[in-house]
Amino acid sequence: MGRHVGIVGVGQTNHSRRRTDVSQAGLVREAVNRALADAKLSMDDIDTVVVATGPVLFAAVNQPEKWVVDAIGAQGKSVVRLTSGGGAGFAGALAGYYQVAGGFSERTLVVAYDKLSEGQLQYSISTLYDPFWGREFAVGIMGFSAAYWRARMEALGHTEEAAAMVAAKNRNNAIDNPYAHQKKPVTVEDVLNSKPLCWPIKLLDVPPISDGAAAIVLASEKVAHHSTGRPAWIQGIAYCCEADNAAERSLMLSEPLALASRQVYRAAGITNPRRQFDVVEVQEPYSCFELNYYESLGLCPPGQAADLVASGATQRDGDIPVNPSGGCMGANPIGAVGVIRLIEAATQVMGRNETHQIKDAKLALVQSGGGWANLRGCAVLSA
Amino acid sequence: MYSAPDSYPIDLPTFRSRIDLPYTLTPGRAAGTFLAEVKNQRIIGSRFASGRVVAPAQDFSSIDGEESESFVEAPQTGVLTAFTRVDGQVIGFVRLDGCDNEFPHRILASLEDLSIGQRVKAEWEEGVEQSVLAIKGFAPAADLPVGTVKPLATTEEPLGVIPYEMKLDFEHAYGPYYGRMFDEIRENGRIMGVRQPGLDTALLPPREIDDITHARTGTWKTCADTGTIRACSIINMEVYGVTRKVPYVYAEIVLDGASTKMIHVIEIDSLEEAKATIKPGTRVRAVWSKGERQGRVSDIERFEVIDT
Amino acid sequence: MALSKVGVVATAQTELRPAWSNAQHIDLISSVVASVFKGTGLTIDDVDFIIDSGSDVLDGRSISNCGFLGALGAHHKEEARVEEDGLWGALYGVNKIRSGASSIGLIVAYSKPSESAVDLYWNSQVEPFYQRPVGFGQRAANGIQAQRYLAAAGVSDKDLAELVARRWAAAAANGGVAIDEVPDPEAVLASGEGAAPLTKLMLARPVDGAVAVLIAREDIARRVSRNPAFITGMGTAMDTHSFAERDASRLTAAEKAAAMAYRNAGWASVDADIAEISASSIIGELMAIEALGLAGQGEGLAAAQSGKTAINRSGGALPADPIMATGLVRLVEASRQLSQPELYGGGAPRRAIVHGAGGVGMQNNCVFTLEV
Repeated sequence: MGRHVGIVGVGQTNHSRRRTDVSQAGLVREAVNRALADAKLSMDDIDTVVVATGPVLFAAVNQPEKWVVDAIGAQGKSVVRLTSGGGAGFAGALAGYYQVAGGFSERTLVVAYDKLSEGQLQYSISTLYDPFWGREFAVGIMGFSAAYWRARMEALGHTEEAAAMVAAKNRNNAIDNPYAHQKKPVTVEDVLNSKPLCWPIKLLDVPPISDGAAAIVLASEKVAHHSTGRPAWIQGIAYCCEADNAAERSLMLSEPLALASRQVYRAAGITNPRRQFDVVEVQEPYSCFELNYYESLGLCPPGQAADLVASGATQRDGDIPVNPSGGCMGANPIGAVGVIRLIEAATQVMGRNETHQIKDAKLALVQSGGGWANLRGCAVLSA
Repeated sequence: MYSAPDSYPIDLPTFRSRIDLPYTLTPGRAAGTFLAEVKNQRIIGSRFASGRVVAPAQDFSSIDGEESESFVEAPQTGVLTAFTRVDGQVIGFVRLDGCDNEFPHRILASLEDLSIGQRVKAEWEEGVEQSVLAIKGFAPAADLPVGTVKPLATTEEPLGVIPYEMKLDFEHAYGPYYGRMFDEIRENGRIMGVRQPGLDTALLPPREIDDITHARTGTWKTCADTGTIRACSIINMEVYGVTRKVPYVYAEIVLDGASTKMIHVIEIDSLEEAKATIKPGTRVRAVWSKGERQGRVSDIERFEVIDT
Repeated sequence: MALSKVGVVATAQTELRPAWSNAQHIDLISSVVASVFKGTGLTIDDVDFIIDSGSDVLDGRSISNCGFLGALGAHHKEEARVEEDGLWGALYGVNKIRSGASSIGLIVAYSKPSESAVDLYWNSQVEPFYQRPVGFGQRAANGIQAQRYLAAAGVSDKDLAELVARRWAAAAANGGVAIDEVPDPEAVLASGEGAAPLTKLMLARPVDGAVAVLIAREDIARRVSRNPAFITGMGTAMDTHSFAERDASRLTAAEKAAAMAYRNAGWASVDADIAEISASSIIGELMAIEALGLAGQGEGLAAAQSGKTAINRSGGALPADPIMATGLVRLVEASRQLSQPELYGGGAPRRAIVHGAGGVGMQNNCVFTLEV
């Protein structure tokens, strides 16, 4: 890759179940203020803005970047919106990355948000389905996610316990996250005994519904030093997809994620992800997905995700901590999550993570995605 | 389209779909205060440190994002600066006296009677609260004196949420593939897909181009109405918009003869029993709805397990 | 390391029709994706990434790209959904290739406005507390924009109607737009009120359609295409959401976007042979012409009638506005006029301006410069 791009400033709101004091525009403004302050910049210093949110139907404002532009003082600038279901934030960061890498911008602000409290989440997600073919049976993304998880367990002879371990790990990690709002300690037993919603997905396997925004400032090598002496450089970033209805679609592995990681690892010089990464942040819409990611990202051999989590290696004090921030279990403003994961990973390698700094973290892996679990990407950050 | 040329316009039925969602939107402090005060028939505006005054109230300046400093009460009179008519409704911009911006609203007059610069005043709709439509619109008011912006000591608590509904109706074209598939379902009670390029198994739903290879699909093939579950989960929660009684099984089924899935449901008595008896690999058959078929997926009421 | 230059290798477009009643979105999309490769020697396998533009609200489906990935040819490739006009998708694609990360990209844009109430699509973009309930939307913005422009510029209804009729005639001749009957100026004036003072035919007509553009790094573009048009400059700017706060007589965001594009292209002056310009109404088109520097303020009509630059030989957006794809169609038209001048009466055009817009009252604007 030609021009190097780094994350030089970050900011996120204190996510909550419901913010009745600010509109969507006000929420975005908060995150933008924090990120600009962190980057020691004003909006005048920003060349372009990328806005990302989940689907429009989440919050009743179509093409909301056209509304929130006013609140952040970006009138007159280049503003565009990316969207990609749950992967929207990451897709926004990717578009921003290419604006800088492609020479269109020296400094790009990426802000992602969702104010999920304002709408009917499951119903609006259900409109993802083809109206002719299956929408009347849709239960958000929970219906098919649970089905794919069950199919994995059948094929591998696993139980619900591995995902329950993920849920307990992330929920407990979130307690220390100053930006998270779901902070109740939980045991594996609690998760296993919680009410089935779309079995095998149970109540405690599911992240909260949140209002939240997160922003990052991306800068070229030329100007990064104005903001920080230690940017989180993006060594590789990619986002791939698969058609949702394929005869051979793997229910075991996420092929788009595996393809993206292959591309990214090549760019970043990763030959042994388990050994090389110091910390990993992933977006788990339900706890079961994190298991799939372990395998798709090559952190463990295929079929062995349950063993990996049971070994404790992905705990904070393990050799490959995954979601020390708490992941989605602490806060899940869906469209913002990709950027939140980037912030958590960036601050780890910058040595200033506010939840739980992994000692001497130098190399971080981020995963995000959305849609029919068929839009998936990852990035490698280092400082 | 590169397939057969069409020489006559085709008149086909369309598939009706409605998305109807309720919302509770948060207006934020400025709009929340404005909307709370309309029941008092007061128009709340905002003052910025730069001296700029706008009505209705804004948290952030539309010009440059500057944060507002305080609320003010704007006068109910102003000047009409622009107007148009859409579907018979006159809409215009009103610059309230003492304000630096324009307030878009309905103008209560005929288009022909209006001119730029005309003085207008707000008229209120009795009984409407929590909405900018508590102001019915602005009507010509030639003789009224110029009002002044007044500072405000106290204001109502800003509204935290206001209800909103978004109703979107669609008429989707079937296209040649869904068109035939649903026609066959309605007329002949059979489910047809198209063969994958070079293979005998059928893609459901059918389409011109294969999703994976982007090659032309093959000929039509009838699939059985029996099949195998590829994946399934048990729905056990109430969800807005879904009327089906829980628990039930949500299933991705590959019909015999097809290679891709169709989504449907299986009725069950108990969650525990379903965990044991319905799983990937379970054989199922369609239970067709009673009465006349419509040409929709719901012509199959549900699937049931085939006892072996 | 120098940034790569990016060229337009091939384009494909469905006919733009008031209603494609015998085709679904995926039929239109897969059609252009399959067609765009014909004659290039390339296939979908050569494409590194797909950028697609579409609207959930127009499609009636959330995350609508997700259901169309197969038709887009995106399976197992990098894909991105820009929920803005396709010209912004092209901007993203050009940046990807210039960065060195990819060498060939496919940009796709599409919509089927016939399937829903287009007014609701526009109104849902307006903030929901003050403006949306009073009915302020695209048509009201167009009407007020016209009232303001006409008060300042000496342009008559007749002038406007003649220009509209000319655009429709050009679209009919171009062959890419389905038009039953080309309206004459009288018919334009008699078409009923669209948004006072504009008649219905003075507003852009939404149509169904899909368009695909294959872009590539310079060396590949030259290998594959006889006379590719290169994208030499890009700029974009978004105006304030509050229509009332925008400059009443100028499209300042379009001016900024144009200035950015011309600066990046190294153009000392605005000197283009061809311009393909988007607009939501005939007044919007005149204002865009002025904003792009092709005419002084209030003088867009003269440039449209007989300026040095050939403007909207395709007919532009008025007879055919495939919402979310209109700007990309302008790119297709401009690049074809540059690469194949023999189709347009010959000559040796060198430079083109391409303009796309989005949002109520053309809030967002994107400008490309193309050169051969």
